[in-house]
Amino acid sequence: MIKTFGGLVMRAIVVLFGTAILTFALLWNAPGDPAQAIAMARFDALLTEEVIDQVREEVGLNRSFWQAFGDWLGPLLRLDLGYSAVTGRPVWPDLRTAIGYTFPLAFVALAIGLVSSVPLAILATKRPGGFIDRFAVGIASLGNAIPAYWLGLILILIFAVKLAWLPALGASTPAHAILPALTLGLGVAASLTRIIRSGILEARGQPFLPAIRRRGVAERSVGRDHIAPHAAIPVVTVFGLELAFLLEGLVLVEVIFGRPGLGTFLVQAILARDFSHVQAVVVLTALVFVIVNLIIDLIYRVIDPRIGENDA
Amino acid sequence: MRSVWVLVIVLILLAGLGPMLAPYDPTAINIPKRLSPPSVEFLLGTDALGRDILSRLLYGARWSLGLAFLISVISLVIGTTIGLAAALGGKIADWVMMRTTDTFLAFPELVAAIVIAGLMGAGTWSLIFALSVTGWMRYARVTRGIGLSVQSRGYVLQARLAGLRGWSIARWHYLPSLIPSLTVVWTGMFARAILGISALGFLGFGVQPPNPEWGSMLLDARVHLRSTPLQMIWPGLAVVICVLAINLTGDALRDALAKRDTYE
Repeated sequence: MIKTFGGLVMRAIVVLFGTAILTFALLWNAPGDPAQAIAMARFDALLTEEVIDQVREEVGLNRSFWQAFGDWLGPLLRLDLGYSAVTGRPVWPDLRTAIGYTFPLAFVALAIGLVSSVPLAILATKRPGGFIDRFAVGIASLGNAIPAYWLGLILILIFAVKLAWLPALGASTPAHAILPALTLGLGVAASLTRIIRSGILEARGQPFLPAIRRRGVAERSVGRDHIAPHAAIPVVTVFGLELAFLLEGLVLVEVIFGRPGLGTFLVQAILARDFSHVQAVVVLTALVFVIVNLIIDLIYRVIDPRIGENDA
Repeated sequence: MRSVWVLVIVLILLAGLGPMLAPYDPTAINIPKRLSPPSVEFLLGTDALGRDILSRLLYGARWSLGLAFLISVISLVIGTTIGLAAALGGKIADWVMMRTTDTFLAFPELVAAIVIAGLMGAGTWSLIFALSVTGWMRYARVTRGIGLSVQSRGYVLQARLAGLRGWSIARWHYLPSLIPSLTVVWTGMFARAILGISALGFLGFGVQPPNPEWGSMLLDARVHLRSTPLQMIWPGLAVVICVLAINLTGDALRDALAKRDTYE
């Protein structure tokens, strides 16, 4: 177990280093002259060659790749995200504000997803092939096919424009979070319902269940103590994918609803070619992702001891 | 299941024959008729520049489905190559290839694609590059997994003893076992590519106007949400129908495959 743990952590560190190289290579190779873009953002139309060269010198754009990578990685390892070359402000406070908008939204969306998918999947598997089951599968397939931005626009159309029940744009009150959270939550619910449903069906077919029943274990305990843990394994496995799905949805949903969260922060940074903002979001996402996947790998091995040490 | 196949064939025909079926030029601007509601003249109405939405949808199918096909095939080739190299190339190659795959998997695909396409500059080529380079990892993992399990089978050992090496073993002995599973992964990635293309188009990082791509049509329509909400419904509906049809096809293929494996 300790050996496995060490191996997994080592692997996570290698992957993190890889993500750092990848991120930096991407920024380094981005076309266009970042010095010019930065100068433009700062001084508007007053552009001369000298101003651009001065910015280039100041931001350190005239170094070799590995030299620049080293200079870039050093502060990052000390958790120093540096200053934005466009706004001239430190990156971290702005990033923290954005996270403050994104995290609660993601959390509520995940909660909506779990709260609606677990009962639906359990009801659906009471009678496989029955009406509720077909309804659940239909909703789940549909939910997987609906792009988050379109669902968001439709919810705005119904609840903000036609019914005028809820605000659509901005993030000034908690009520502003309802529509975006619903948009994301419904998407999460759709894919979770599918996975939990097939997990339960698969667990039901396991050969150890008749043996347990024959020993006289109550049906309630069979469900709670034997089927549920078995059905939970695929859910844990796909949790990383769910998180990815959630983050992808967040970017689009925040843009649609005009919420100043991480997604909006990222899109605006890309448009302004604010590399320190882009890299901060990318590195943070990769970090969260690698850590979550590491935890999932560990949990996975604890709840399912059949997984060998060499399994990827 | 038959209805899904019919739907898929209808969609392919619509995309293929779109230009013949479209009543108008998808880029023809007609300001006096701008933002018309659906009518006999314009079956689905017109957009803010008076362009016929039905014609744009039909032409747009070529962008959305054609590019998604291209992207899913490019990533299939990258992923299968890396997966085979990992399975066949020995321990070190396996480690390098799989850590590379893990590294690419450390970013949510669409977020990475948005960053890449955005930084490269909006346009069709950066769209193709961004979505291909972020979409190959599942193929690589599936290929490696199957590759490793095939490796221990008798016929591969025999082929090795007979003197076949590397790529010819891959071609004759791995590929046949890979094709069914890769087809299932491919349908999923094809659907994801459609969603990715429209998402990037919606953010303005994808196919550029005046080309009629569904995501960028949504972006145009969003501004007129209050006055002509229907304009926003159509391109989204087109995406949903295509993705649903492909996902259902993928499910059917997977079930057929599982059935075959049980009976074997």
